[in-house]
Amino acid sequence: MFPSLSSRHRTLAKMSGANGKKGPSSGVMDWISSACRFATDRNDFRRNLLVNLGLFAAGVWVARNLSDFDLMSPQPVT
Amino acid sequence: MGSVLAAASPSPASAAAGGGQGVPGLVSVPPGFTMPAVSSVPPSSGSDQQAADADSSLPNPGTYEECHRKCKEVFPLQMEGVRLVVNKGLSNHFQVSHTVTLSTLGDSGYRFGATYVGSKQTGPAETQQHKFVNWQCDMEYRGEDFTSAVTLGNPDVLVGSGILVAHYLQSITPALALGGELVYHRRPGEEGTVTSLLGRYTGDNFVATVTLGGAGAHATYYHKANDQLQIGVEFEASTRMQDTTTSFGYQLDLPKANLLFKGTVDSNWVVGATIEKKLVPLPLTLALGAFLNHRKNKFQCGFGVTIG
Repeated sequence: MFPSLSSRHRTLAKMSGANGKKGPSSGVMDWISSACRFATDRNDFRRNLLVNLGLFAAGVWVARNLSDFDLMSPQPVT
Repeated sequence: MGSVLAAASPSPASAAAGGGQGVPGLVSVPPGFTMPAVSSVPPSSGSDQQAADADSSLPNPGTYEECHRKCKEVFPLQMEGVRLVVNKGLSNHFQVSHTVTLSTLGDSGYRFGATYVGSKQTGPAETQQHKFVNWQCDMEYRGEDFTSAVTLGNPDVLVGSGILVAHYLQSITPALALGGELVYHRRPGEEGTVTSLLGRYTGDNFVATVTLGGAGAHATYYHKANDQLQIGVEFEASTRMQDTTTSFGYQLDLPKANLLFKGTVDSNWVVGATIEKKLVPLPLTLALGAFLNHRKNKFQCGFGVTIG
């Protein structure tokens, strides 16, 4: 009666596996998306404070360790 | 073999001669022996005097406002619309500026500014629509190793309102400075006090500053990588607004190209940059700036010309 719906159901069944378990790639993606949602959630002040403190520490580390390049140095001869 | 004290001022000729020749004041050396070479050691009392001099020669820590300024200056200013600025120095002490702004978001108009710098320095004065918007009086005292300042803003004796700000900054070591701020505001029916503490540590090529108070926390880190690249990292937390922000900014200064580029990115998903180019030999500086707020899907750009 609804061939497109049944084909969609077949596709979802293939993705989830025969026994309903998710594949490893979808699990990793779910973990990444939940981690991003956790980090960018602005409703919790304490969580925002910890995330921004971590960003500040990362920024200080980048400034101290990854800023040793000279723009006016002569280009290497190839 | 003699004592160290006796050999405090050795005579190389006498040490080389040896052979039992005794130097007046030193132990006589038997024939066939020579005094060992002893390096001249400064007396121990002299080092204590040097340490005392170092403790008393702490540098002046500067002003309270300058602590975070070095990092703040790395970040680009948000530009919107068109701005034309003409600076004219009338003398070594007096300078005037004419500013014309064309803006879609803010007010467009003309602003005249005058700055007088003399033996007793006063701040710049600006008039707007032929009336004073606000005024303030500040006094600052710079001691040998401390700075104190008091600022009085918009005092109104009749109404009983005004703002009093007191700053104190003390050098603890040549690298460490600690200080505090007290803000007292008063208006009819309301008065309040806000205090905060400040700590600043200065390294060879970096400055780290932290301010903690009832209103929140503010931390900045300034790093000078080389003559061209300066980096600033800023953290702000406001307990009143219940919000925290972290910003990362950098400044590229290429004097050979007469170019100054500043960029920033922060935790509110705002990315911005400004570029300033001096149009040598003309006394012109061209400035372009753009800011993009990804969270709110807003874009803002500006253009400015500075003459003089």
